[in-house]
Amino acid sequence: MGNAFLQSESDAGAMAISLKSEWVFGNVSALTRALDDIDPGDADRVTFQCGGLESIDIAGAWVLFRKSQDLQATGRNTDFKGFKAAHFKYLKNITGVSDTSGISDVTTGTPDANRSRRLLESVGQAAARGLEDVGHIAHSIFDGARKPSMLMLRETIRQIDQTGVKAMPIVFLISFLMGVVMAYQGALQLEKFGATIFVVDLVSISVLREMGVLLAAIMVAGRSGSAFAASLGVMNLNEEIDALRVMGLNPNQVLVLPRVLGLVVALPLLTVLADLAGLAGGMLLSTTVLDIGATQYIERVISGAELKTFMVGFSKAPVFALLIAGVATLRGMQVRSSAEQLGRMTTVAVVQSIFLVVLADGVFTMIFARYGI
Amino acid sequence: MEPIIVVRELVNQFGAQRVHDGLSMDVERGEVLGIVGGSGTGKSVLLRSMLGLHKPTSGTITVLGLEIHYLQPGPEQSWGVLFQTGALLSALTVQENIELPIAIHSDMPADTRSELARLKIRMTGLPISAAAKYPAELSGGMIKRAALARALALEPKILFLDEPTAGLDPIAATEFDQLVTYLQSSLDLTIVMITHDVDTLFSICDRVAVLVDGKVVLGSAAEITQSDHPWIRRYFGDPRAQRARPAGDAIERPQ
Repeated sequence: MGNAFLQSESDAGAMAISLKSEWVFGNVSALTRALDDIDPGDADRVTFQCGGLESIDIAGAWVLFRKSQDLQATGRNTDFKGFKAAHFKYLKNITGVSDTSGISDVTTGTPDANRSRRLLESVGQAAARGLEDVGHIAHSIFDGARKPSMLMLRETIRQIDQTGVKAMPIVFLISFLMGVVMAYQGALQLEKFGATIFVVDLVSISVLREMGVLLAAIMVAGRSGSAFAASLGVMNLNEEIDALRVMGLNPNQVLVLPRVLGLVVALPLLTVLADLAGLAGGMLLSTTVLDIGATQYIERVISGAELKTFMVGFSKAPVFALLIAGVATLRGMQVRSSAEQLGRMTTVAVVQSIFLVVLADGVFTMIFARYGI
Repeated sequence: MEPIIVVRELVNQFGAQRVHDGLSMDVERGEVLGIVGGSGTGKSVLLRSMLGLHKPTSGTITVLGLEIHYLQPGPEQSWGVLFQTGALLSALTVQENIELPIAIHSDMPADTRSELARLKIRMTGLPISAAAKYPAELSGGMIKRAALARALALEPKILFLDEPTAGLDPIAATEFDQLVTYLQSSLDLTIVMITHDVDTLFSICDRVAVLVDGKVVLGSAAEITQSDHPWIRRYFGDPRAQRARPAGDAIERPQ
């Protein structure tokens, strides 16, 4: 029997295996299969004829060496014959180390222009940089999405856990407290008009439309935005990202995209949690301080707030997630030289992502008002 | 035989400062080439240009017959890089760090992959117990060895070393030099290294490339020391360099 890498012949208790072609790293899978297929049967001597080898490296030599060890373990004698000296040294390298388990432990000066001109210049530069940043974010997301892989999926799931699941307690807590505070402040004013029951509408509509998603997004921007920027920044400083590149791994694919995707999944889920927590906070205050029963509160929420109210808030979450993750990963990837810059970029990441979330919320409000949603 | 790395008319300019000014050099197959130069002469920039991690202002670089372009796929399976600080991924153990490139580039069975990784760990002289450790738990010398093991994971033809002995004590540095020599001869590697260690230059480098005035002066260590360029004279005339020079001016490679 035989194949592209070897040819075996059995003859009176002895087996000869002739090796041929290239026993190198790239063929290790095929080599392992080829060697696994060999059945020495009752042969008690196996000889490897190595004269026909074109090339061999450590990986190929290891596969061969391991096979001979396996054969010896079943009580057979093994032998290597016809090795070229240039090839044999690879095998010798391995037998050497498998015996011993370790040897021993610029910038050009800015022209001095007048003040107003410099101001205009800096505004223009900031605008150009902003546009450039949008381009960089879009590029890294699309670049990362070109070739999906298992590695990416695993990392995405890890990110959902880090940014979503682990953020649940704190998001629940602040939304719950904010629900209590809003209900109390609302009740103080509405009591004057004898319209205490409208506290429920106030809490449910403001939580579902605005506060739930906004609180979740701001919490995530502070928590995960800083984490993204800092971890990618440190990887840049340690040359880990360069190391990934020279190994042929695309950092956009294995680092940036999983973080963006992870957050786009996690933030909407956190928004649902924040909505529920806010409503629960309002309910706690209404039932204990105001004269509104739990059943009445829930009925009022259901009649006052529609599915649409919830959807208005919920639909903003993926956009906010994209903004936060986009800005934070970009700032992390821009860390180049020093720990100083790492700190600055982390700050910028958090400040800009919170700013963008609030800005985007304003834009959403304008759009929704325009279309009467 | 065709040179393994060909650099032609490389220019690198940062602002007004021209670091490389039409630099051309060849790296021959199977040699150990040491790159030296003063601060700011662009040793790292040259190395990063060769690896496609830096975009040269102009010029071409060919590695193994393949032209290198900035951040484009290159001969990743044929080169290994030892970064100055090791650059092991801190979230992974040593074993996982070495398995990672293998997992990316080969569909070999998981047990073969992990055996090969352990083999590389032992070839670089690390105790096998280091395999399960995280980079943060290792000493500087061990990190270098682990990073070297990762650089060797894909059976490369070329090994790039960025100051391999920097930060190591003299004994560890000598051991590391011996390790590199041993690996070079037993794996038929071509090695390009940046080094400031004159001991390393004299003991393991076949040729030395000195970066001066944006160009390169190439030759054996013995030839380079005869150069009359002022910086080179000062570099090798320095007392530290004098001590490293073998007695009687005869430069020999140790076994």
